[in-house]
Amino acid sequence: MPPVEKNRMQRRDFLKISAITGASAALDACGSPDHQLIRFIPEEDLIPGVATWKPSVCTVCPAGCGLLVRVMEGDAEVVRNGQLGLMQMGLAKKLEGNPAHPINQGKLCPRGQAGLQVTYHPDRIRTPLMRSGARGSGEFKAISWDEAMKRLMAQLSSLHSGNSHGRLVFLTSSLRGQRKNIAVTFTGAFKNSQYVEFAFFDERVVRTANAASFRHDAPPTVDLSQANYIISFGANFLGTWNSPVAQSLGYGQMRQGRPGTRGKFVQFEPRISQTGANADEWFACAPGAEGLLALGIAHVLIADKLRPASSAGAAGELVEGWSGGLAEYAPEKIEAQTGVKAETITRIAHEAAAHAPAVALIGDAAAAHTNSLFNTVATNALNALLGSAGKPGGIQFGSVWNSGSGKSGVQESSGAAAVQALAAQLESDPSSVGALLIYGANPVFATPAAWRVRQSLEKAPLIASFGSFIDETSILADLILPDHSSLESWIEDTPDSGSVRTVVSVAPPAMLPLHDTRPMPDVLLDLAHELGGNLATALPWKTYDDAIQADFAALYKEKGSKDAKAADDFWSNAQQQGGWWGPEEPAAANEPGGKSTAVPVKYAPAQFDGNPGEFPFYFMPFPSQMLYDGSLAGLPWMQEAPDPMSTAMWGTWVELNPSTANKLGIKQADLVEITSQHGTLRAPTMITPGIAPDVIAMPIGQGHESFTRYASNRGANPISILAPISVAGTGALAWAATRVKISRVGEGSVILFGASLREESPDLKHR
Amino acid sequence: MATKTPEQINEDLLRPLSVVSPRYFVALAIFLAVVIVAGSMFGRQIYDGLGVTGLNRPVFWAFYITNFVFWIGLSHAGTLISAILRLCNATWRRPVTRCAEVITVFSLSIGASFPIIHLGRPWLAFWLFPYPSERGIWPNIRSPLLWDFFAINTYLIGSVTFLLLPMLPDFALIRDRASGFRKRVYGFLALGWRGTPKQWHRLETAMHIMAIAIIPVAVSVHSIVSWDFAMAPVPMWHSTIFAPYFVAGAIFSGIAALIIAMAGLRKFLHLQEYLRPIHFQNLGKLLLVMSLLWFYFVFSERLTGWYGNEKYEMSVFWVTQRGSFAPLFWTMVFCNFLLPVPILAIKKLRTITGTVIASIGVVIGMWIERFLIIVPSLTRKYLPFSWGTYRPSWTEIIITAGTFAAMALLYMLFAKVVPIIAVWELKAGQSVEREHLETILAASEAEAGAD
Amino acid sequence: MGHQWGMVIDLDRCTGCEACVVACHAENNIATVGDKQAAGGRAKHWIRVERYYEGDFPDVKVKFMPVLCQQCDAAPCEPVCPTFASYHTDEGLNGQIYNRCIGTRYCANACPYNVRFFNFYNPAWDKPLDLQLNPDVSVREVGVMEKCTFCLQRIKAAEIEAAAEKRDVKDGEIQPACVQSCPTNAMVFGDLSDPHSRASRMAASSRGNKLMEELGTRPKITYLQRESWNGDENA
Repeated sequence: MPPVEKNRMQRRDFLKISAITGASAALDACGSPDHQLIRFIPEEDLIPGVATWKPSVCTVCPAGCGLLVRVMEGDAEVVRNGQLGLMQMGLAKKLEGNPAHPINQGKLCPRGQAGLQVTYHPDRIRTPLMRSGARGSGEFKAISWDEAMKRLMAQLSSLHSGNSHGRLVFLTSSLRGQRKNIAVTFTGAFKNSQYVEFAFFDERVVRTANAASFRHDAPPTVDLSQANYIISFGANFLGTWNSPVAQSLGYGQMRQGRPGTRGKFVQFEPRISQTGANADEWFACAPGAEGLLALGIAHVLIADKLRPASSAGAAGELVEGWSGGLAEYAPEKIEAQTGVKAETITRIAHEAAAHAPAVALIGDAAAAHTNSLFNTVATNALNALLGSAGKPGGIQFGSVWNSGSGKSGVQESSGAAAVQALAAQLESDPSSVGALLIYGANPVFATPAAWRVRQSLEKAPLIASFGSFIDETSILADLILPDHSSLESWIEDTPDSGSVRTVVSVAPPAMLPLHDTRPMPDVLLDLAHELGGNLATALPWKTYDDAIQADFAALYKEKGSKDAKAADDFWSNAQQQGGWWGPEEPAAANEPGGKSTAVPVKYAPAQFDGNPGEFPFYFMPFPSQMLYDGSLAGLPWMQEAPDPMSTAMWGTWVELNPSTANKLGIKQADLVEITSQHGTLRAPTMITPGIAPDVIAMPIGQGHESFTRYASNRGANPISILAPISVAGTGALAWAATRVKISRVGEGSVILFGASLREESPDLKHR
Repeated sequence: MATKTPEQINEDLLRPLSVVSPRYFVALAIFLAVVIVAGSMFGRQIYDGLGVTGLNRPVFWAFYITNFVFWIGLSHAGTLISAILRLCNATWRRPVTRCAEVITVFSLSIGASFPIIHLGRPWLAFWLFPYPSERGIWPNIRSPLLWDFFAINTYLIGSVTFLLLPMLPDFALIRDRASGFRKRVYGFLALGWRGTPKQWHRLETAMHIMAIAIIPVAVSVHSIVSWDFAMAPVPMWHSTIFAPYFVAGAIFSGIAALIIAMAGLRKFLHLQEYLRPIHFQNLGKLLLVMSLLWFYFVFSERLTGWYGNEKYEMSVFWVTQRGSFAPLFWTMVFCNFLLPVPILAIKKLRTITGTVIASIGVVIGMWIERFLIIVPSLTRKYLPFSWGTYRPSWTEIIITAGTFAAMALLYMLFAKVVPIIAVWELKAGQSVEREHLETILAASEAEAGAD
Repeated sequence: MGHQWGMVIDLDRCTGCEACVVACHAENNIATVGDKQAAGGRAKHWIRVERYYEGDFPDVKVKFMPVLCQQCDAAPCEPVCPTFASYHTDEGLNGQIYNRCIGTRYCANACPYNVRFFNFYNPAWDKPLDLQLNPDVSVREVGVMEKCTFCLQRIKAAEIEAAAEKRDVKDGEIQPACVQSCPTNAMVFGDLSDPHSRASRMAASSRGNKLMEELGTRPKITYLQRESWNGDENA
């Protein structure tokens, strides 16, 4: 190292320099409007350069991980009472996992890390907006909150008083805790009203099946940490499915956390996912045949007397022919339909039986075929048969805290079918919906074009959005009342999977708001007080944090607490550590011998839209590791983070098998056209060995028409060309049930971070 | 030449200094325009950043460093060749030496500018100077780039001296024949040369010392340039053969550049009687030897690489032999070997035109060679996941073109200010060896046939 | 003191999720370059997850390998730098002093792991995204190289705190952002000069080896190889 001389600055030099810089700074301030801003009173208790960590909750996916927000002092341009100015305040600098949180235990996925950019997004809506141009033109003008509230009140009060015909419809993403309670109660206080929840990945099929098999309307909490054998049917459980951080923690433990024991992991799916890439054995099974495989394995277990059929209890009885030993699912009989060799099925059944605890998972595309309720129930039965339902090393269900007892008799519906019904209703009788409130959901982007959601929403008399961004749905709104970001507002969450402990996360705002925004629950409470009547009694709280505190009071009453004597302590402790978590006591998954109220299901082949002659390929959209369901496409970190499998950045692509590409004369990165019976899209190809020759796969997330400067007009949206068919018995969209054809258009391009697909990995074994 | 009197020689060689044709100005304007455009592109590059180039990760060096090596290579035309010829007392060298040495000085200056052009923060290039800085550190002497800095500067200073010394009597000659302002300028440049025997003696001695001293410097310069690459653990860079290979390549391209320059001067300055076929023939023979030597180096480099079959080296090897760089590779082999060798080996083809064609091939081929040494290795550097590609941007192409224009421009200007053939050397050669020379010239010219 | 910071990456745990990649961006003020620059091969990811396919359908295998600066003890990037911008710290890190860098990019060529990144343009953050910048990490200007620092700011903060409390840094006290975020606990950071540190003990595993060690770079990151399942052994 070179010797570094001490910097010897003379006092005189220092004075000279500071005089010069001071003068230039003063001159600078005259010219730049940036420096003419007024200064607001700085936030107290901030030490420049010293970081504090504040708890919060991740809201970018339903997993509900706990956060620690690193907050440091800084100067921000903020709006206070309509006035722009500079404020020295605590700014969130980094999101880290909360080590005390039972779900993510200090860890965080890439999407969660990038959640920070929501708060600082340059295209965030900074003030209430009113539509000034035609619907969908994207022309809005800024208005004050008073004005915005007045306009919304005008419509709501006439609906509330019954003066005006038409219903209040509240369309939200999947909400939990008091946030949901307030939204539902608010909606329910209107005589004529409907509350609709919609998220593209809502695990509705898995929930329905779990409700039938195990009487838990929730996705499973998977205990991979103690599992010795994992059989996964399409579930991308290390990437995006269910509670990926909790599952990844368990997976790491399963691999190398137990000296001398390393679990095995087998994945069945037609296109290798990031999760499948980690499997010890990966098998391409035919789309929609996952239930057959589950029952094939079950058959071997029963027939070879590895497990008695009766041990599956009620979950088993839900499958028609279970007690008969499932002879029609013998490996040899299902070999052709599943594309998996009989001896493989037999071997896996024997391995799983010998390496208890063994657990079976199903999710993503496997739970999005028309017959996926059967597939999922069959997987549940297999779990029950393997003895891993409700047991460590298997699937478990924690007890979920249900915020707010006041069910107000609102017509509550959720899932894609509900959106479809709403669209149909708007299409036929627009005036039947007096006002449509939208929060967090983007159904225009996330439903098949065939449902005509955009066209129907265009007819709605009044749309008010609480969104933070102009997206495909909120661009249709008449009023936009922008919400705080999750870091700027109080937050409460009651995740229903990821931990067997009861988790009620709570956190005060991690930082002051930047813009002229208001938290959605507070807006609803304000409206409720103004509307008065039954609303004021149903929603007695002044503010959202009052409501959360009340919820915690109720929680304290019911659950008590060992580490806090009084309710006040309970409340402040919860705020400090980021929530309250109950003891580890998994709810019984099923009562052995108990009769299920659900009707037994039986196998029906998956239906695919489009005849195989004209549309020869299965079309498999898949969740994007970075963009999730598209809601994160606006974040530059997510756009530039390479996809784990393709290494693509800033765009979309279509995956196909080399032999298919060869046959069709398609080369790497060629632009191709994908056509279903319901639409067409164009994207560049990614020729990869990890996909079946009759399957074409495409990530969900890009193809936004209007969603921030980073995502707009980038790539294509596979959801748009999906067939509008649902998973039988659930009302969920069967998003993996479309057939397509493909043709080459010309040369294209795809932005890859990794150079080559086919090169051998460097031989690390070489020493 | 045999029949020229000293007065005629003065007349012929000093004529270009006073007579200027309109074509000269047109050419000058064109070259100047290209240089200005290239300069403004460089200005934009400084303002915006190296993003305006085609560089990327992992190809961090490409056109600019190619140009650097290429121009430094060309600089071996002159000083080294003329020094060797001087020491060997090759009498035919006399009309050749100065135009060769000028190539050295200019191409070295151009080449030396590229390490600055290619910098991410060129305004800090002076940090390479070893001076007691406010940063409290000296440059890192372990870095081959610093070796470059010293070697190139030494070579540049040496070459300029080597060029200037024998110009003194000619400056004096011009001074004596000029008047007014020109007289004052050339008088200053002549540094008081009066042609006394003592001065002549000192000049001869100085030239002799310089000729001996400059050879190791020249060899070291291109060896060090080669070590810029060979010192880095990059596949196909990290090679022991690089230093002699680069020196041979440098002399190879230098001779070719000299032949082209001489042919140009001969045509445009009407020096047919001074730059005669014999000069081209002799230089052609040298070029032939260097072409064979170049091929020998390339062959042994490729053979050992291929035989070693080391996986990282092989990925670079194959991308040049058969992959995306193969067209360039085989063009290089054609330009540097397949084209020049027959032309130069067959006496009938070794005419002025023939040697010029061969030389143009060699100059192109050697530019490609430098590119192929630098870029393919970087595109295939170890972990296949981070392999890359490279495509030059217009900025790089225009700046490259600008340096060729700059070379032509400088050469043209120089030939208007200084006699491009050393007048006194030619006279000296004539008076001392007139008879001897005449017989040789007559014989060789009869051999070569008419021009 | 004499810490020698090193890392162990268990490839049997790594799932290729890239939480580390985004965590690194957030911690170290790494600018996104946008689609056009990314297409030109100028995206900056101080840590990347390399993905290799092996075999053909249906017998296809995939390997993930996170690659970051290996903080070599005999780093090829260091001697080639003419201005000492790239140098070896007392604690064994390959330091990069941005202010000294004049942008020769020689270090990047010399680095066999391609983990050095160049600022082809001045980095830019659309306002107010600049508010996310970590005040502990300097923003690099156009024309300089940047690279993984093992989150030097976190190391220094912990060392200063330990010194103030008159103790040594505890094992596990320092976590670079990538290690901290890793959902499968695949990465372990620690002092290799302490034979009892978790990283030292794991580095001694029979599964451990180093990336392209044959080049003589003496990397301080040990990769633990993926294992294959052996049913009988596990039974």
